[in-house]
Formats: sequence, C-alpha cells, structure tokens
Amino acid sequence: MPDFSDNYYARLGIPFNATRDEVRNAYHDAARRLHPDANPSPGAVDQFLRVQEAYEILIDPQKREEYDLTLPSVDSSLGITIDTVYSRNELLRSPDPQLIYVMMEFIPIPTTEEVSTPLNLCIVIDRSTSMQGDRMDVVKAAAISIVRQLHPTDYLSIVSFSDRAEVIVPAMHSSNGLEKIESQITMLQPGGGTEIYRGLQAGFDEITRFLRPNYLNHLFLITDGQTYGDEQACLDLADQARDSGVTINGLGIGNEWNDKFLDTLTGVTGGNSTYVSDPRDIKRFMELKLKRLNRVFAENVILNMKLAEDVEIHYAFRLGPEPTKLPVDMPLNLGNIQSDSGLTIVFELFVKKIAQHNSMVLMDGIFRYEIPTRIIPTVRTPISISRPVSHADGQQKPPPQKIVQAMSKLTLYRMQEQAKQDLEAGKIEQATRRLRFLATHLLAQGETSLATTVLGEAGRIERERSLSEEGEKRIKYGTRSLLLPPGSGVNL
Amino acid sequence: MIECPNCKNKEYSGALFCSQCGSQLTKGNDATQSLMRDTGSAIFDSAVIRKLKDMPSGVAVDEATVTLHVLDTGQFLPLSGQDSFTLGRLSQGQPHGPDIDLTDYNAYMQGVSRIHATITVEKGRVYITDMGSVNGTRVNGNRLEPHAARPLQNGDIVILGKLKLQAIIRY
Repeated sequence: MPDFSDNYYARLGIPFNATRDEVRNAYHDAARRLHPDANPSPGAVDQFLRVQEAYEILIDPQKREEYDLTLPSVDSSLGITIDTVYSRNELLRSPDPQLIYVMMEFIPIPTTEEVSTPLNLCIVIDRSTSMQGDRMDVVKAAAISIVRQLHPTDYLSIVSFSDRAEVIVPAMHSSNGLEKIESQITMLQPGGGTEIYRGLQAGFDEITRFLRPNYLNHLFLITDGQTYGDEQACLDLADQARDSGVTINGLGIGNEWNDKFLDTLTGVTGGNSTYVSDPRDIKRFMELKLKRLNRVFAENVILNMKLAEDVEIHYAFRLGPEPTKLPVDMPLNLGNIQSDSGLTIVFELFVKKIAQHNSMVLMDGIFRYEIPTRIIPTVRTPISISRPVSHADGQQKPPPQKIVQAMSKLTLYRMQEQAKQDLEAGKIEQATRRLRFLATHLLAQGETSLATTVLGEAGRIERERSLSEEGEKRIKYGTRSLLLPPGSGVNL
Repeated sequence: MIECPNCKNKEYSGALFCSQCGSQLTKGNDATQSLMRDTGSAIFDSAVIRKLKDMPSGVAVDEATVTLHVLDTGQFLPLSGQDSFTLGRLSQGQPHGPDIDLTDYNAYMQGVSRIHATITVEKGRVYITDMGSVNGTRVNGNRLEPHAARPLQNGDIVILGKLKLQAIIRY
C-alpha cells in the first residue's frame, strides 16, 4: 500500500473539508513560521517547500478535486463526542452579573484498530551544578529507561543545558545505536548555571528536524532551578512550539524551581508541570508520561472560542487527565486525548450583562484536534455554548452533581491560589484566614498531613509574612492532586 | 450578589462555592440537605469511629483535664490522651472523623459541622477555636470569630450550632 501519510492536507494541518479560506490561512501561518528568512532551524527550509507545494494544489479547486481522487477513502468522522454540563439550566434575567460553570467532557470513540502513534521526543536535561549527585544519577537512569522503551520508529534527541546547551544525542531513530545513546547519557557531567531558554531552544531545534504530522512531538524538560532573565524568551518559544504542534512537559525537582513559570510555559503548549520532591519519583514520572503518550488518540486538541460581549472566562481548568490550570485566553491548547480516557475541562464564566433574548450564546467557535493515525489527521467541528434566559428565580434546578463534586475539589486548589494572591497584595489577615479555612476542609477529608502543612504556613505568614518555598509547592501540588481520580498516585 | 451563610463573604450569583471559606453555596442541593439523606441511611463503621465511651477517663493532659458535659442528655465526655481535640461529627464518605464525634448526641440535627471546633490544652490553659463552622460556636452566648482561639474557663457553656456543652476543667 502506498504511504499516504504525507498528503497535502496533513502537510497544511487542515481537515479534508477545509474551506479555501482555511487553506489560505493555514498556508500563511505555516509560511510565517517556516520562511527561511524568519526561521533558521535546520528542518525549516524543507518543510517550507513541502507546505508550499501542498498549498499550490489545494488552493486551486480543480487541482484539488483531481488530487482528492488519488487519495484512499478518508475517515472524516469526528471520532470524539462532546458532553457539556452546565451548573445552571438557565441564566437569570437580572441586572446583576452572574456566574455559570461549564464542564466539557471530550470522550474518544474507540476505533477498531489501535495503533500507537510514533513519537518525536526530545529530553532536555538541566545539568547545572545543583543537579550534582543523586539528582543527576536518577535523571540519567530515567532517561536510559525511556530510551530503552522507545519503538524503533520513534525519533529521539537529548539535550543538556547549564548556562549553555549541548546536543547530547541529535534527533534520530532510537534504534540507531542504542548503546551509543546510553553511553552519551552516562557521560553527562553537572556544572554551571541554569538558563532554561538555551536548553529549550536546542531541544526545539532537534524536534523540528522531524516535524511530521503523524508523529507526536514532545519535549520533556527536567530542571531543579530557576532561570534568570530569559523567562520571556522561553515563553515566546513556547508559543512557537504550540504553533508547530510541539508539547512541552515540565518536571521540577526539589524546591528551588519556579513553578509558576514552568506552569505557564508548559500550559500554553497543552502540557503540564509536575513537582517531584524525591528524585526517585523522576523515573516513575517519565515512564508514566511515556505510557500516556503511547495511548494518545488525539493530539494538539485546541478549543478556539469567541466570547460573547459581556462574557469573560474567570477561570479555566483541565480536570483530567493531569489536572492543570489553563490560561484564560483563546486559543486554548488542551493537550492530548488518550484512547482509554476522556479529557475534562471546566470554565467559570462571568456574565456581566444578560442579552435581551430568550437565549444567550456565551461563546462559540471551533474545536479542532489531530488524530495521528488517520491519513488526514486534522478534524474540526463548530461548538457553541448557550443557555436559555429566564425571568423567574424559582426555576433553577440544583446544579448537576458532577459539577458540584468537581468544583468542591477545585475550590480547595483555588483557595490556596487566592491565599497567595492575598499575601502578594499584603493582605496578611485574609491570607491566613483563607488558609485556615482550607485546613479545616482538608482535615474533614482526612488529609491530615496536608492540613498540618497548611496550618504551619498560615502561622508562618503571620510571623514572617511569607510562605516557605517547600510549603508553598506542597500545598499547591497537594491540593491539585486531590483532583486526581482515587488510586492514581501522589502528584503525578 | 449572594452572601455566604458561613463567613458572610460576597459572591456573584451563580457561584457554587464560597471563595473565602470553601462552603457550598447553592441552594436546593447544599451540603446540609445531601447529608440529611446520607445520614438517614448511613451505616458507620464503628471500628473507625473513636468511641468516646471506650476512652479512659480523667487522664491528665498537661496540667488541665477537660470534660465536656452534654447538657441535653447529661453525658460526660472526658477529653484525654492528646493536647488538641477536634469536635464535630463523622459523615459518610469522610475517611477520618473528628477526634470527638458528636453524632450520637444528635449533632447533625443540632447543626454541628463535620469539623466544628478545636479544644486545645496548652501549659495548663484551655482554648477553644471555631474551625469556620457553618452555624458557629458560642461561648457563654458570645459568638466566636472563626479560627481565633479563645480561652475557656471551668463552667463555660459552649454551643456548637445548637448543641450545648459545658466545659468542666480540672487542674
């Protein structure tokens, strides 16, 4: 059977039913990203030419029709069902602002043939001085274990960085010289500062060498430090990664790393960051990640909604898998959908003013994703979130249990976030009060050790007006792990 | 805007939980009502609950010993073995109850929260702290600020929601 994976639709990342505007926009986006003047990466020129070729055919209706005839039958079904649950059945016609929670569950429809999608993986390892000893040894062991588990078709690259970056293993099929790769990893020596941007940039370059539509492009960043002065450059690179379909996942070791920054960095690409206090958890984390990647059904899952006037997203959160706070701006990168579990997100929508109609569209737009096992991976479908508007107050049904349960757990996570905001704003009393309320809830749920940490930090704020770095991370990731389904392990 | 019944914080209409104290805000389906159904059919694992009657009575904690006198039923609850006790009631699905479970004293109907208050004994002094309970804690008729410790004297009347207890402190 001829290989159709490199077809023109896949090259442009558009669905089979793309309109001419979509073809044009996809080309312009790709050209802006890949044009040799703008992009010095090694693979960019080749990619640019391939995109150009695809565009020239697909933009011409007649050539496109002829081209379509050469393709085998195309599966253009959605492959995913969307289940939307609202906290209220109706909005109230009231002059006051109101909130509504919208929970969206994306559930894959299992296909008969389960093929795991090949990976294009880059592991970016912090080798700054602070990684010396245990940490470095465990990271090396974890990296080697990952390398051994890769499939022969996967691409692998490994980059290390301190205040500069070195490509330890350039992107290649992992089956090419497993032994050599392992010895390269073993020879890694710690030393130097921490400049994350250098590592990210080098890692991203390696991934771009083999940016293929039918591959999962992932970068694992492992660091124990804060980066100084290059945060913005890192975030710009994350935007570029998102646009190219590369997901960045972060693993922070110990207490020194900047969790807020790593959360933002990974969040924009649809990845997440994890806190590991015990170096021995590193291997477990990486193996779990790899296992998840091998079960990916859809990737680059993006929700691009336009909010109605007078509506704002106050809060967005991915409840599962891998609970993570999401940015509130669109487009929203939701990460992957695994074949054995759905993806669930929740929005807190703030409605400033109710529309004068009997029904109000809160937001609408498109939901798009790629199913890498398909010849034409990109799928997109319109989505609209709307609610009827009522006059009467008595009509409200109680909110669905599903939303209440999710929000009761998410509220605890948000309480610690808000306590930190209180603290930053100098509202000491408010911050400690909130933390003590949080501790009460944790006690009631049997989270005694987390509650003790929270109370300890509340006391510390009163005395010293600050949180300890360790306590802060423990509370954040501890309350976040409450959102995990039972039995899925701490923090991962 | 709606007001949190627990901590009086203001939230937008439609909010499900109070952002300050974490209490559930929605009517018609609030925690109290769903617990009403739960407790009706609840079968508690008695092994999990620390039964007060099984505890040794009157053992000195630091230099002060606290016994709570449940005024409506006349029972005495000695607090011993620790220097801090949470008071409340065990509810279904809650893995760990309070140190002192008041379920047997009709705590639910009396509006006692799951973790309602804490009594601490420190250097011979006894303090009570409201843990952000829904219906509040009163000592001799004065409502306590949540999370602020207040000294407790022998003979003080402590009301958790509506449940009346008298503190008996022996030095």
